[in-house]
Amino acid sequence: MHATKFQVKLYTKTGEIELGTLIPVFHEWIREKKIPDELLIDVADYAHVPQGPGVVLIGHQSDYYLDVADDRPGLLYSRKRGFDGDLQAGIDDAFRRALRACQLLEEESDLGFEFSTSEVFFRVQDRLRAPNEDATYEAYKPALERAASWFFGGAPSLERLGGKRDPFAVRIHTGSTGCVSDALSRN
Amino acid sequence: MISWKEQLSGRIPEQLGGEVDLFEGQIELKKQGKIDDKIFAETRLRRGVYGQRYDNGLRDDGTGQRPLTFPCGDLTKGPDTVWDAPGMMRIKIPFGKLTAEQLDVLSELAEEYSDSILHVTTRQDIQLHFVHIEDSPDMMRRLAAVGITTREACGNSVRNVTACEYAGVCNTQSFDVTPYANAMVQFLLGHPDVQDFGRKFKIAFSGCEDNPCGLVTFHDLGAVARVRDGKRGFRVVVGGGLGAVPVEAKVLAEFCPEEELLPLAQAVSRVFARLGEKQSRARARIKFLVQKLGMDEFKRLVAAEREGLRYDERWTAFLEDLHATDERPVRKAGGIPSDASARFRAWAKHNLKPQAQDGYYVAVVKLPLGDFTSAQGRALSDLAREYTGDSIRCTVEQNLAFRWLSGADAVAFYERLDALNLGEPGAGTITDMTSCPGTDTCKLGISSSRGLTGELRKRLSVIQEDLDPAVKALRMKASGCFNSCGQHHVADIGFTGVSRQVGGRKVPHFNIVLGGQWTENAKSYGLVVGAVPSKNVPKAVELITKHYLANRNEDESFQAFIARVGKKDFRKVLAPLQKPPSYEQDPSFYSDWGDPREYTIGDIGVGECAGEIVPFVEFGLQEAEQQLHDAQDALDAGQATAAAAGAFNAMVTAAKALVRHLDVQVKDDPSDVVAHFKTHLHDTELFHDPFAKGKFASYLLQMHGEKPYENADREIAHRTLDEAQLFLEAAHACYQRLTQSRAAVAAE
Repeated sequence: MHATKFQVKLYTKTGEIELGTLIPVFHEWIREKKIPDELLIDVADYAHVPQGPGVVLIGHQSDYYLDVADDRPGLLYSRKRGFDGDLQAGIDDAFRRALRACQLLEEESDLGFEFSTSEVFFRVQDRLRAPNEDATYEAYKPALERAASWFFGGAPSLERLGGKRDPFAVRIHTGSTGCVSDALSRN
Repeated sequence: MISWKEQLSGRIPEQLGGEVDLFEGQIELKKQGKIDDKIFAETRLRRGVYGQRYDNGLRDDGTGQRPLTFPCGDLTKGPDTVWDAPGMMRIKIPFGKLTAEQLDVLSELAEEYSDSILHVTTRQDIQLHFVHIEDSPDMMRRLAAVGITTREACGNSVRNVTACEYAGVCNTQSFDVTPYANAMVQFLLGHPDVQDFGRKFKIAFSGCEDNPCGLVTFHDLGAVARVRDGKRGFRVVVGGGLGAVPVEAKVLAEFCPEEELLPLAQAVSRVFARLGEKQSRARARIKFLVQKLGMDEFKRLVAAEREGLRYDERWTAFLEDLHATDERPVRKAGGIPSDASARFRAWAKHNLKPQAQDGYYVAVVKLPLGDFTSAQGRALSDLAREYTGDSIRCTVEQNLAFRWLSGADAVAFYERLDALNLGEPGAGTITDMTSCPGTDTCKLGISSSRGLTGELRKRLSVIQEDLDPAVKALRMKASGCFNSCGQHHVADIGFTGVSRQVGGRKVPHFNIVLGGQWTENAKSYGLVVGAVPSKNVPKAVELITKHYLANRNEDESFQAFIARVGKKDFRKVLAPLQKPPSYEQDPSFYSDWGDPREYTIGDIGVGECAGEIVPFVEFGLQEAEQQLHDAQDALDAGQATAAAAGAFNAMVTAAKALVRHLDVQVKDDPSDVVAHFKTHLHDTELFHDPFAKGKFASYLLQMHGEKPYENADREIAHRTLDEAQLFLEAAHACYQRLTQSRAAVAAE
């Protein structure tokens, strides 16, 4: 069985974000069931932690972070459980859910968010099934390239990140200048 | 497919591995419906697998309570606790000591199973939140592989043994308590004599009497290092505790020789297990047993128990090598460079403390609300490997202490910390607040202690360099409810979450507690001055500190100032802040910090003009509060008996108001009030707190029966005031429940 705890992050074009503005938005997502096929539970506020997870929409299947790691704000989708499918399907699904969340945030006009599609951060939070080593990279590279090409077009380039202690992570340079809606409309 | 169990084969101690396998088996049996809910709940608690807010499958989204429909259906992991609901894992870190490798693994677990945040608790544990129970066995295996167990981190057992984070490197210690704390941990973990407690049991060690790091006076069992005639031993205290009513521990032994420490702890445990309360959870801590028996009788029973103990070689085996727990520096000692930057010096002023060993320092990493990220955790373990070795300690003030830092490396260490956003100055000052999880994740939270603390931090951090040193030195601590996990009783300025009904809506408040003493192992506890709406607490802090600065005598400490002027002065200061604006004027008061949901539950009072009609019961509750304030003033004035009697009268007044609210005719005579209160509010359980059950009602009933307020001394008066305060809070809560219930009936 392959890993399923995939994380996908798309960065905002806005440099700085007032994290407090996300809290009522995420509470509304819970109330309005904005992600209908997932159970959304609560909102965790980590705005006090610099370069941390920011504000987290806690769900049962997945969490959605307005993550500010490395001082680069972005929407981080994080699957925790509940996906049956092969590696490609799992990665595609994670990309799709991240993009949909970005689209939802862009629709929150008070936030004024716009997400870039030129770069995607991908990480697997499962050291047992996806240790940060060459074999994992070789196993994931084709599926990541296919997913990136599928959603963003063109020929992406991949950059493996971190060391052995870190979770397996890849930065994908897509070369895309399109918007989130374009990416979602491609499939 | 390989599993963590296979992956870590050979690296997990056999016994720990077996325990985790057993727990995993119990999880499977529970899923098959073969284990009773209550038994499984206690089983998982004793493995550190704790409940979390909304785990009953219900959550108020600000417009009403809605079900959280988890895929597990009816499967539960305890009474009213849904299987799939996220929970918390409490990871015991004995006396807070961590190695770099352990910190790495904890960081891995935080990002793979939690939300990438590691939280340091006020008991030197690490907590991870939003964890699924089915992930817990693998988490335990990964921890076991680096020597950590979650066994007995929760439940009715010996909780994490705490100790001063400076133990072994402190300038004021009698000797290093680390080997003794370690021996206590090893001896009592899983010991048959500590498996049948009615409640939890907390142990703390301190190396000296004067400093606060060990905080032994509010522990079930505390040991303070002492040397007598060249021989090592401990002053042992017993029966302390914070909780709803704080109690200072009493001396069990002025000098317990080192070889007698473990057998004494065992004897105490056996007496507690045998005679401690088992039915009423609210009176099951050892402090109640000590109170009930009296210290002389308790001592006699412990001595008799000690006499009958069968010899155990572990009592003294550890004494053969007291250096087994010693840490070794990885760098040579050195002095701090004289040309260090101003930023470094500002940090070093409060965050760097010289060790007893020349040329070495303890660096305190100030964590915001006790939180750090997985990425920071890994970077910190790198720092430990490079500069200090395996000498990290979680502190009771929710920070991390790195010991054995060479002065020559201090600047480089600071710069690395700063690059990790962990170079914040002001450890142990007013900006370094502690807080329990509160309504963020705790099932019992009433107000958002973390939200409040985060807001105060944010505001004070901006002005910290300009703060008067006397204000900067103050400590603030917040608890989200009366259970006091934020240790607010021993802060200069403490906060405890309460709610109030205003104009038909609930408003989050905090009781302001002043006058607690952090030093001398948390020697004395503060008292409530009054409740302030959560959103007015920052202003309240500003007014309190200004009042202190403007009116203190030269160099007068905050505590001395409070003792001199009394709390009455502060009540005047706070009075303008105590009434929130109406909902129409400012609805923000009706939400808590960091949470936009309306604090009110359900539809009660919404859209009505009830706020302009004050029911009689509210006048009665207000009158009771005034009586309690007067009683507190009497105590300040040294009139203990009057204070205790006043506290009792306040309870009677509140009880009378509630009884009358039920349309029951009652006379002003206290006996009549208490009799009707018992019949209509206690026996019917209307007054019962959802968590504490009949605990608060029993304060009134016992006080009326036993009349401790007659000829009360200061200690009894203090306890009576605390109990009256809690009774009044419970009266407010009861009134809110009665209002809701009437509204629900009306709606039908």
